[in-house]
Amino acid sequence: MAIDYLMPKLAMAMNEGTVNEWLAAEGDYVEQGQLLATVETEKVSYDVESPDAGYLHIVVPAGETVDCDTLLAQFAADEDELQQLQNGAVSPALAAPDVGSVQSPAPKTAAMTVAPGQGRVKASPLARKMAAAAGLELALLVGTGPGGRIVKRDILAAQQSAATAPAAVGDQVLARLPLQGMRKTIATRMTQSLRETAQLSSSWESDIDDLMALRQSFVVREEQLGTRVSFNAFLIKAVVYAIRRVPIANSCLVDDEIVIYDNVNMGIAVSIPGSTAYDSGLMVVVLHNVDRMGVVEIDREMKALIDRVRSGNATAEDLSGSTFTLSSTAGIAPPGLKTTPVLNQPNTALLGPSTPVQRPVVKDGEVLVRTLLPLSFTFDHRILDGEPAARWMSALHECLENPGLMLA
Amino acid sequence: MALTREQMVALYRNLVRADQYNRMMYRRMMQGKLIGFYHPAEGAIAPGVGACTFLNQDDNLSPHHRGHGITHMLSKGIDIKYYLAEHTGKETGCCKGRSAFHFSFPEHKVYMMSGFIGYNFAPVVGWGFAAKRRKQGQVVMNCSGDGSYGQGRAHEAMLMAQNWKLPVIFFCENNGMSIFSTAAEMHPMEDISSLALGFGMPSRIVDGQDVFAIAEASLEAIARARAGEGPTFIEAKTLRFNEHDIGTPDLAGWEERSEEDHAKMREREPMKIATERVLGDGILSQDEIEVMEREVAAEVEAAEAFADASEIARPSVEELLDAVFAPQEI
Amino acid sequence: MRTITLIEAIREAYQEELRRDEDVFLVGQDIRGAIFPHTKGLVEEFGPERIVDTPIAESGMYGVAFGAAQEGMRPVCDFMFGGFSYVTFSECSVTTGQYHFLHGSQQPLPLVITAGVGTGQRLANDHAMSIHGTFAHHPGIKVAMPSTPYDAKGMFKAAIRDNNPVVIPWHMGIMMLKGEVPDVDEDYVVPLGVADVKREGSDVTVLANSLQLQHALKVADKLEGELSVEVIDPRSFVPFDMETLLRSLEKTNRLVVVDEDWESGGFAATVSARVMEQGFDLLDAPVIRVTLPNMPVPGGYMEEYVAPNPERIEAAIRAVCA
Repeated sequence: MAIDYLMPKLAMAMNEGTVNEWLAAEGDYVEQGQLLATVETEKVSYDVESPDAGYLHIVVPAGETVDCDTLLAQFAADEDELQQLQNGAVSPALAAPDVGSVQSPAPKTAAMTVAPGQGRVKASPLARKMAAAAGLELALLVGTGPGGRIVKRDILAAQQSAATAPAAVGDQVLARLPLQGMRKTIATRMTQSLRETAQLSSSWESDIDDLMALRQSFVVREEQLGTRVSFNAFLIKAVVYAIRRVPIANSCLVDDEIVIYDNVNMGIAVSIPGSTAYDSGLMVVVLHNVDRMGVVEIDREMKALIDRVRSGNATAEDLSGSTFTLSSTAGIAPPGLKTTPVLNQPNTALLGPSTPVQRPVVKDGEVLVRTLLPLSFTFDHRILDGEPAARWMSALHECLENPGLMLA
Repeated sequence: MALTREQMVALYRNLVRADQYNRMMYRRMMQGKLIGFYHPAEGAIAPGVGACTFLNQDDNLSPHHRGHGITHMLSKGIDIKYYLAEHTGKETGCCKGRSAFHFSFPEHKVYMMSGFIGYNFAPVVGWGFAAKRRKQGQVVMNCSGDGSYGQGRAHEAMLMAQNWKLPVIFFCENNGMSIFSTAAEMHPMEDISSLALGFGMPSRIVDGQDVFAIAEASLEAIARARAGEGPTFIEAKTLRFNEHDIGTPDLAGWEERSEEDHAKMREREPMKIATERVLGDGILSQDEIEVMEREVAAEVEAAEAFADASEIARPSVEELLDAVFAPQEI
Repeated sequence: MRTITLIEAIREAYQEELRRDEDVFLVGQDIRGAIFPHTKGLVEEFGPERIVDTPIAESGMYGVAFGAAQEGMRPVCDFMFGGFSYVTFSECSVTTGQYHFLHGSQQPLPLVITAGVGTGQRLANDHAMSIHGTFAHHPGIKVAMPSTPYDAKGMFKAAIRDNNPVVIPWHMGIMMLKGEVPDVDEDYVVPLGVADVKREGSDVTVLANSLQLQHALKVADKLEGELSVEVIDPRSFVPFDMETLLRSLEKTNRLVVVDEDWESGGFAATVSARVMEQGFDLLDAPVIRVTLPNMPVPGGYMEEYVAPNPERIEAAIRAVCA
């Protein structure tokens, strides 16, 4: 079996070498130790002694420069083999051992050491930023990144128009608005709410003349209090009173668990401009821990919150975490409007006050003209039954008509 | 202290082995069959043999990197095939193929080799310290070249060894060269051993081409150390026939070492000197020498066969990471 | 333009700077005889007073450079192998880094530290370890490494002309890499602190240097048509050109950092933290680092798959684009 002789790598600066001269001839029988060739590297010239014995078959002629580990010559065991080599027999495998068989370590992707908590969506920082700018709800998107992470391409896909032209009902179309972005989000959430819950609405009216008089005493002290306290601030205070009487109204259904909260984060539905003159937008901003605030603070914080939202500086907290929702049409709807507002999931309950109306009512046996606030209350019957719902409504009603109870 | 016939035969045999092993390493390097560098020991084989042949198993040894410590280690009774396997990246190597050519044989008290010249001077102090505490007569044979004594740590080691009378032998193999730099140009003192004077350490200068002279001096120093008398500095004036390492030119300063220099050096060929002596003194016959040479050749062949037949070490990264720290047994 | 190797480019930089400024000198061990080719022929031209060999005494040798720099000379101290600088580490890192700052910014310290580093020769830890990460950690020291002959010549010149201590090792694996440099009469400098986009792309940014840069370019070529890979050479670790990297991330949103240094506490970790801090919203995936695992660099054949290599770089690119 022929022995290979390769160009050795003799120094770090050596990538190639040159056989200046072969000191034995093709076909010669060479002894081990006999001078074989003069090899020149980048720095040094060597008279090389033959490492093996055999019949010499020269592969690389003198004067040629070759890379290290190139086959220079072979030693044949006998003349037959020499003949074979000279006739171009394939030489045995040479060169450095194959390292390919060992697995290179797989790269460690930055593992999330904290599993996302309830409600936390896996999304890249870039995707979050893009979603926020586009008004997309991350919770509603499907992530195609590793581990279901939402990445840029998912945001781009969600933004893409998939509008199919609606079947024309009228001849002349005023506008076409693709169902995308915020509109699509709202559409999806509304249907989801109606589909997944057992919600129903009840309406009544509460006499708010006394409450309005109370409010007036705050309004005349606007400068002192630093704010012109709104009616809604008092309404929120009354809602808190009612929640304290029937705590289960301040809850969320999460998976198979009704989580009843101690603090009250008031979701407030806010109308925002749509993308065109025809449509509108809607978002729920959240005022946290209203149960710990007085009406002045509620009013101030609510105004600051809405300000932040309208100027694009809303924080994540401003837009999430509601335990109860308030959705008012007061001042916009016709007086006395009764409504059936859709629940803001995952909240159990939502209060929908509307425009106050003047009516004749019987009070202490007399017929008086009083200001009545129409209130519609939507609740999820999976969690809140009719009896506790009625008790909640009564508690609110009582507090509105006897505003002193807000001090309780 | 005159050597006995047995001692001389043992030394001669180790010298034949050192010579053949060195030639084997040189050849393999030229064939591309070694990993890393090789610093050839032609002309420099006597010191390792002379210094180490009479060490015990439990004596510490730090071999010189000249000849990759082979002449030292085989003289201490280490089976070089495991080092050759290591030097060819095989899993049967003394360091599981991980070290390239940095040997370690802890059971023979040869703990390590490192690429930093003068690395030995720090640990030898510790070995001497441990040996002194144990009071079992162990000695530390610390072999390194003239260049290594440029290191500050060499002076710290001599200071502390002499001060504490540690059983450390400072064995300096002075071949007058460090890669290209000559000792004549780099060191102001003619003899490296004169440094020992400053520390109050006794010293001797011996002919580094004469394995028997080296052995005599070494035996004396070993006896002193075993008896608790402290360190000795032995300077073996030796020669480096080849370049510093294969692939590097053979320069002194920045000019080629001349033909005359080489011819002059080769007049003091250690194998020749030792052979003349054993023949002349009737210690060994030519026939006996030839038998010895054949036996050693077979040994070298077996070592090569072992290394070449072994598998290349390719443990997974996980296995290697697991091996970074020693296991904890509490 | 001419084609020369990286090590020749360094030699040209030395030669030109030695000619240009009397105060420049080299100090090392066996550099007159040119243990590595970049000092070949220099002692013949400039004499042993300017191409200085010392005994094997690293503290003394570095002391020559340090003291001379304080006295207004401009030394280049060559440790031969990067790891050997650790024999005199306190001088190189602490004393050197703090000199200008701690003493009231009164005096510059114009010295250069260089040595060969890097895997690929199977020599094991002592000879293969990298030093740029450790020196980058010590404030007051500039750290850079060239990846091409053009950069090597320009950066070594910049380092020598810089009034600050500059650690500029060169990778032995690309010692013989050929590349184009301007003709001999053209004096050019590659400024420190400026990264270089070596290859443009749009899907992912790969930050890599020296041998690993060449690996990254190879992988980028291989992936052409499938993924568009932008390859950036930092060139300098201190100061580091964050702007170029951020601009690239604005385009690609994905980053792979390749660093031939240990995973723990190296330059790759520093860049990743900075990108997270300064470019959080640009990231569409976590930054992936391809580094040496936390073990001493083994010798033998293990080095090939333990060290960063084209396969690992490709796997990282695919993972970050998933």
